Amino acid sequence: MNIRGAARETWAWLDSRLGIQAVMDFLKHKPIPRNRHTPWMYTGSLILIFFGIQVLTGIMLAFYYRPTLEEANKSVGEIMTKVPLGWIIRSVHSWSATFMIAIVFVHLLAIWVLKSYRKPREMTWMSGALLLVFTLAFGFTGYLLPWDALSLAATKVGTDIPRSIPLIGAWGTKFLRGGEDVSGDTLSRFFSFHVSVLPLCLLAALALHVYLIQKLGMSLPVGADEEAEARRSLPFWPNFVYREAVLWLVFIGILVTIAVFLPPTLGKAADLMAPAPEGIKPEWYFLFLFQTLKIFPAKILFLTGDTVAVLLILLAAVLFFFLPLIDNKPAGRKGKIITVLAFLLIVYAVAMSVWSLQTPSKPEADRIIGAPQNIKESTGIYVFLAGIWLSVGVLIYLLRLKIKETDRLLEAGYFSSDKK
Amino acid sequence: MKLKHSLFTRRQFLNGLLGGWLGGLAALFFYPVLRFVFPPEREPEQVLLPLTDYGSLEPGAIKNFAWGSKPGMLKKTAGGELIAFVSVCTHLDCNVAYLPEQKKFFCACHDGWYDENGVNIGGPPPKPLRRLVVTPEGENLVVRPEGAA
Repeated sequence: MNIRGAARETWAWLDSRLGIQAVMDFLKHKPIPRNRHTPWMYTGSLILIFFGIQVLTGIMLAFYYRPTLEEANKSVGEIMTKVPLGWIIRSVHSWSATFMIAIVFVHLLAIWVLKSYRKPREMTWMSGALLLVFTLAFGFTGYLLPWDALSLAATKVGTDIPRSIPLIGAWGTKFLRGGEDVSGDTLSRFFSFHVSVLPLCLLAALALHVYLIQKLGMSLPVGADEEAEARRSLPFWPNFVYREAVLWLVFIGILVTIAVFLPPTLGKAADLMAPAPEGIKPEWYFLFLFQTLKIFPAKILFLTGDTVAVLLILLAAVLFFFLPLIDNKPAGRKGKIITVLAFLLIVYAVAMSVWSLQTPSKPEADRIIGAPQNIKESTGIYVFLAGIWLSVGVLIYLLRLKIKETDRLLEAGYFSSDKK
Repeated sequence: MKLKHSLFTRRQFLNGLLGGWLGGLAALFFYPVLRFVFPPEREPEQVLLPLTDYGSLEPGAIKNFAWGSKPGMLKKTAGGELIAFVSVCTHLDCNVAYLPEQKKFFCACHDGWYDENGVNIGGPPPKPLRRLVVTPEGENLVVRPEGAA
């Protein structure tokens, strides 16, 4: 028996047990609408790509990271200076988090403005809102793990915020910290959240999210002509996947390049007794909340300013979660107020972040900076980057050929003969 | 489309190229991952043992020290010479013990025996214990790998 025959038989054996062909047939028939809003539909899979990179680099970092008071900062330092290419792996993990969260924001704002959350996709939105919470929690817990002065201060502030919630707040703070104060127990706890609790939560919400997207199909823009859209649509597999792959490659190239040239630094081990460093700031995605808390006065009527601010933020979060139930108009209505609200939120978040950046932060002088260990390593890294960009270029050229080929097949009705 | 004498179609050719390049890119990423996951051996270049602690060995006596992450043993032979071993069994990496009454090294994992000079004399060990070079330098005994001069 020749190799091709053997491969075909193996495939048949697997398929008859796993039902792969059924899935592929489903994906071949899953229509992706082709209109001026299609670019937003690339954001979802891009988030998944970055999440995948987070999982892989996170597992690798956990090989060397030690989540204890004495060792956490030291082990991150060792990853950056002793482990081969450790500084790049940490840099990719840090930058990929930034990319992932940035694209999550784009993804949710696009869905908000396009009203894709309307009936029957309310639960897709809600599972997405949960995914947002878990993603931000990943960022928050991950920020503490290097255990330097900045991460300690950010965690002290962040875990103190629940305390302002009446009744249950103090309990929440205690739960997050594993005691009254931020300590080594907080570090163990955050590590456990970061590497086991949050991944499980996120994967569960993700499974629901992706299942709902497959079940309900892609949404059409408000007021779209359904028949015309159906005629124009692309099959998810293979036509759309080839298009998405172009974007994945470009973003992976950008990610690795930035990670090599702008690696995150590491300060000295946090001192629990030292005063907070001047001009401390959280990660960029929390800046607008940070500034919001800053501008509230100490007292409003009989409540403290913090309590009012936190309650307002919580209220906004609840409204955000239930957006599809608040804006439950028929799919045809435009919903201009909701659109305006989205833009107001963007303006507010950007303005607050910019305002917050006006206070200069003063990082301590002798921070550990990741860099190639020797000339051999730095040459290797440049060759590596050149190799990546060369491959990306060639692959994009080949993918364009595949896109043309599959589009021709689509036009010729090759995929439609077995259409439902 | 397939040319008359071609062995494969244009589509197969294109798929092969695409798959090949993707595989190449994956391999490119695989290399740094392997470098990260398998850090180079970090054996110490030398270990300093202060003479105040290690100088006063009786002939035939043994004192332990740390050779990187492995145990090491310093021994004064009956002739008064200082020798050192990495006290790890050459069979399957268990740490060995020195039995002073019998003047033998013993590995409890699979019943391996070495004589007082670290030569394998019984049980499964295939090779003698690894020897290290000891040289007195000023206040210290310096222990180095063999052949490191």
